[in-house]
Amino acid sequence: MTGSWMRRIGGFALPLAACCLLAAVPLITNDRYLFKVLTFVGLNVIVVAGLALLFGFAGQISLGHAAFVGIGAYTCGYLTAVAGVPWPIAVLAGSVLAAFGGLLLAVPSLRLKGHYLAMATLGFNEIMSVLFVELRSITGGNDGLRGIPFASIGAWKIDTPSGNYLLVWAVAVVVLVLVGNVIRTRPGRAMRALHGSELGAMASGVDTRGLKIQVFALSAGLAGLAGALYASAVGFISPSTFSLEFSVLLIAMVVVGGTGSLAGPVTACVLLTLLPYADALIPGLSKDAVAVLQDWEADISGFAMILVLLFAPGGVAGLVRRAAAARRTSVREAA
Amino acid sequence: MSLLSVKGISKRFGGLTAVDDVSFEVFEGTIKALIGPNGAGKSTLFNLLTGFERPDAGSVAFGGAPLAGKRPHEIVRAGMARTFQNTQLFEEMTATENVLVGMHTTLRTGLMAGALRLPWTRAEERRAIERSAHLLRLVGAQEYADSYAADIPHGVRRLLEIARALATSPRLLLLDEPAAGLNNAETRTLASSLRRIRDDGVTLLVVEHDMGLVMDVSEEIIVLDRGCKIAEGPPLLIQKDAAVIEAYLGEEDVSA
Repeated sequence: MTGSWMRRIGGFALPLAACCLLAAVPLITNDRYLFKVLTFVGLNVIVVAGLALLFGFAGQISLGHAAFVGIGAYTCGYLTAVAGVPWPIAVLAGSVLAAFGGLLLAVPSLRLKGHYLAMATLGFNEIMSVLFVELRSITGGNDGLRGIPFASIGAWKIDTPSGNYLLVWAVAVVVLVLVGNVIRTRPGRAMRALHGSELGAMASGVDTRGLKIQVFALSAGLAGLAGALYASAVGFISPSTFSLEFSVLLIAMVVVGGTGSLAGPVTACVLLTLLPYADALIPGLSKDAVAVLQDWEADISGFAMILVLLFAPGGVAGLVRRAAAARRTSVREAA
Repeated sequence: MSLLSVKGISKRFGGLTAVDDVSFEVFEGTIKALIGPNGAGKSTLFNLLTGFERPDAGSVAFGGAPLAGKRPHEIVRAGMARTFQNTQLFEEMTATENVLVGMHTTLRTGLMAGALRLPWTRAEERRAIERSAHLLRLVGAQEYADSYAADIPHGVRRLLEIARALATSPRLLLLDEPAAGLNNAETRTLASSLRRIRDDGVTLLVVEHDMGLVMDVSEEIIVLDRGCKIAEGPPLLIQKDAAVIEAYLGEEDVSA
């Protein structure tokens, strides 16, 4: 009884409350810094939703997701700032090009597993990092790409921090709903099966090769979408943003949140993204404390990842699931 | 009618010939057993039939159509399902979810339809869950429907894998040592399950070491030894076959 009641809250009421809270923020405050920080959180949530699908559900690691964000950002930035392409088309192009990159990266995943796949995707990130610097005529090299216009649909321009915040979170919520639906139906089950036992999945009629390609492309496409939104929200992009360090942070979010879960990684993503900007939410926080958090950001997320891998390999979501299963068993035994 | 027709199939791993020029037929609606000492090539033969390994020579026809070059999921789609000697369950999924994965080829919900939760996908999902409950009952694993595979006792895991294979709606089901690790009572239950599955119209090819079970359920037996077929026939003849006795007991025992 309590189980189904709690599940209903977790599955419906809680997300709804979160949506209301998100929508209410612009009514409560007009703190530009806060909007900027929350926009970053929303962008990371989009990337992490895709990475949770790829790594948490399908079990295929990628240490190259920052590069897909970069592909989306540079494509959208170049098309809107230099080529004058309408914003919606530029965002679409950024997502599609990133998805195509994912398709290319899926090819080694058909042959490589575990550490070897991690190395291959890591190499991909490094190659893209070099390209972002060296393709100066498109990317602006180390100086970055400036003057990227705000999002606009026809004559409607989204040029305020709160507008961008709402835009990014609207996309994030749609992405979360769609991904949340996918994981509960046939394609999502096939991904979890692939993770659980590749042989078993094949014997169940799952085209594991096709599935890997599909999920890599989808996951990269979502990263590209976030990158494209990032470019138009911030107006300036440079190569260092899309470094390996960001890829590792993204994987850390999924690992800490828990494999085989969407809510876990999204929660971890929100917390770990907010960490260096804690002063946006806690007004009284001293500058020194913020500086410490920013200096130790990578260490904190790395430490959290090590702790989780040592003591809770299923992540925080795995702990919750185990606890629920244990309670179900004890209830059955008591009955 | 011959459902599966294997002609001169061979597989070499380096210098070892794991399967050597094996031919046989499996007739529709029967239970056929595949026996032989350890290392006789039984599991390799299963892998060849189900597309997990490519044969070096020979051909396999299923329902009259050649299977050459087909990948495992295509062979499942054609109507041949299997289980593994080392169960390949999805440990972090419940028994019901494991069986639902087995319905992958019969369900139609794709990425788009699933993401949008179109009304027909929900109806499909409901029917699938009902069918998985039915299949779990059929093999006698219904009480574990909501348990994670990792938490299910050994004997039931094999039954669950059979339920998952049945979920693919196969015409031919290949079972790799279904009775391994089962006690006597469980083996008897398995025997009646196998007969029930056959009576439902599924043809069975079973690798098994438990001779009691083999003699009990199978209509025909095929014996492999060191990759070669050494005998084929009904259980009573196989029990008396000199080559089979020699393969199992060794020459000294026969002359003694």
